[in-house]
Amino acid sequence: MSPSGPVVESGVDFSGPGHPARMIGSPPVEAAVQATGVVKRYGQRTVLDRVSLTVKPGITGLVGPNGAGKSTLVKAILGLVRLAEGSVRVFGIDPHREPRAVRRFVGVVPEDECAVPGLSGVEMVRYAARLSGIPGIESLRRAHEVLDWCNAGQERYRPVETLSVGMRQKISFAAAIVHDPRLVILDEPTNGLDPIERRAMLGRLTTLAREHGKTILISTHVLPDVQAICDSVIVLAAGRVRLTGSIHALTHPPTPEERLEVAGPVDELVRRLVARGIPARRAHAADFFPTAAGSAARFSAAVGTMALEDGAQEGVVLLQLSTPDALAGMWAEISDLGIRVRSLTAACRPFEEVFLEALQAPPLESLHAAP
Amino acid sequence: MPLHDVGYRPWQGRRSGSLAAIFVIATTGLTLAWTSRWLRRAVFFAWSPALVFAGSFFVFEQAIDEGRLDSIRESARLGRNVDGVGILGRVIAGALGPVDDPADRHLGPEERANKARRMVWARLMLAFMRSPQAILLAIVVGLVAPTLVSRDLRVKAWLIYFTRPVGKFEYLAGKLLILGLLVASITMLPALSLWVAGVAVSPSLWVAVTTWDLPLRIIVASLALAIPTVLMALAYSSVTAESRIASFAWFATWAACWIAHTSLSTADMVRQVSDDSVASQPSVPGQFSVEEGAVPPRRANVPPRAPAEDLGETIVNFIEGLEGRGPGDGRRPNARSVRWFSRVTGVDATIDRWAWLSPYHALGVIQAWVFGIEHRWEAILPPLLSLGSVSVVSAVVLWWRVDAPARA
Repeated sequence: MSPSGPVVESGVDFSGPGHPARMIGSPPVEAAVQATGVVKRYGQRTVLDRVSLTVKPGITGLVGPNGAGKSTLVKAILGLVRLAEGSVRVFGIDPHREPRAVRRFVGVVPEDECAVPGLSGVEMVRYAARLSGIPGIESLRRAHEVLDWCNAGQERYRPVETLSVGMRQKISFAAAIVHDPRLVILDEPTNGLDPIERRAMLGRLTTLAREHGKTILISTHVLPDVQAICDSVIVLAAGRVRLTGSIHALTHPPTPEERLEVAGPVDELVRRLVARGIPARRAHAADFFPTAAGSAARFSAAVGTMALEDGAQEGVVLLQLSTPDALAGMWAEISDLGIRVRSLTAACRPFEEVFLEALQAPPLESLHAAP
Repeated sequence: MPLHDVGYRPWQGRRSGSLAAIFVIATTGLTLAWTSRWLRRAVFFAWSPALVFAGSFFVFEQAIDEGRLDSIRESARLGRNVDGVGILGRVIAGALGPVDDPADRHLGPEERANKARRMVWARLMLAFMRSPQAILLAIVVGLVAPTLVSRDLRVKAWLIYFTRPVGKFEYLAGKLLILGLLVASITMLPALSLWVAGVAVSPSLWVAVTTWDLPLRIIVASLALAIPTVLMALAYSSVTAESRIASFAWFATWAACWIAHTSLSTADMVRQVSDDSVASQPSVPGQFSVEEGAVPPRRANVPPRAPAEDLGETIVNFIEGLEGRGPGDGRRPNARSVRWFSRVTGVDATIDRWAWLSPYHALGVIQAWVFGIEHRWEAILPPLLSLGSVSVVSAVVLWWRVDAPARA
């Protein structure tokens, strides 16, 4: 273990289709961001406390309550703040020593609206392109191309200060990606977007990551967005890393399970399924909240209208349907018992619960330091 | 899907270096600043004094061409208006010196003309850059500079720069270049145009060779004008997110320093005149009044004068003594304008001991030095140190403040 604590990898799942890192025989994927024992203090206040993490290509969510140190971590990645201890590398480059080199690879969508008053939307994006080194007329062509992709429409010709919040968000996003960065950092990227545009924005992020191999780091409070598009997540709280890992691993049980929500004789169904050799069990709170067992209220909120009392006519069954025979057997028993199926989904926990648990958990360094 | 949407495409072109960002920031800033109607008016108006000075060049060159230099000198010495505005007369009188100057006796007419031309042109340039242009510079810089950094702080536009390959140096250099180009457009370019106009109206294009150093001096004088003022204006802009506060601080500095300089200089003058008056006429109670057009120049070394009948007369005689005329010779032009012209053209060779206190007056001394009119270190050093200190402090404040939000 390093003196500053273990390096925790974000555990991106590279098995997804279309991911460049999935190619057989491809070299090890370079970490986009590697932070080791990062400590940042403002006066007496420690904002980042021995933060060690690795962000690999894909989409990574950076979540945490207000004041967790997310913005400071982003500033550290950009080389904007001087660290008290530790180091950050972006594609192997120290951003504090070579900030310009790092920022050539990075595009940032800040949380705060920032624009140069007087410039139109397209001029703003072009300005960003030129500041990033794209020359003259090429910057204008590129700005229009990116704005078209962002569905900016004719509003691009209006001064930025007169645009709606959502449109400004699009302009800001276009400005962040106009120079084709390898790493895109977004702070609350769906702020101010209507549901349609929000979905479109998430789609663009997924496209950038899956089709163009970009590394996306999203700092957000919208946890469903994180669960929807992120490959991995880093939970920061009070300047410490509380949780990190792939979204799939954090929200799904180790063995693939299905979650069957039914109305009818649930216990009898479970008994028959087990008799058929299908691993099945009645769901309990501990299945969803291993570190907060007995939290029935949260469990109810998580799974809907099911009742937990024995003999209840509604319930959730967790079962493993590893073979087609198992699936057919399950349907046969359901039909035989006259059970009404409300849903059959892959068993997973809402990320929000994972996040809330992580906030109550000790920092990762403490876990690793325990004997 | 938009008609022209080709999707996201990687960009593999060759990127320009970080220094190109300076040019990008400057051109964009200038374009935005130029949308201000007031700035356009100010810059347009800033060129108009050049027309007046071009007239002086023309009259002077015509006089040389027609061999009337001596008669013009005599006219000027007699206080006659030569060019309609009175500038040229004062300049020529100061430049040519006494009619029977022993130093000129060995010179031929051509050499004398060249010598006079160099001095007259330099003084006209100094007058042009110091009097109308320095004041207009304060206005133009005051219109543009306060918003340059403070607005970036207010609307958080600094994020646009410092999340891209733009460092503090490029950012500041770009902002400084915006102001530098504006200052050049109202000081250096008109002055260089004046020089070109002077060569054009001179008897021979050979004059361009004999006055080759003037364009260089103009450039240096413009830099001397621009560097401290631009740094100070940007420093004010960087310490607040409110442009209006920076604007107020900028104009208040010029006004307050000017008032302080005038007050101290006037106090010096009153004390000087009182001492002289008491020495020559001990009891003149209640007769002192600083009449219109009779404000004597600030002065530390006063030439001996004849006793006067009252304090007012003493002041008038004081001026006449400074102007090289004997007291009470009956020719009393508007003394205030005479003194003003004399000072801005460098004809008034007294040491302004409070010049360091006011940016306007300090810049005047430095420019006189640049144009080869002021050579005395006791006059140059205090303003030089003052402006140098202002520049250094402003640069440090700028460097420290400009990325302060990023560090917070």
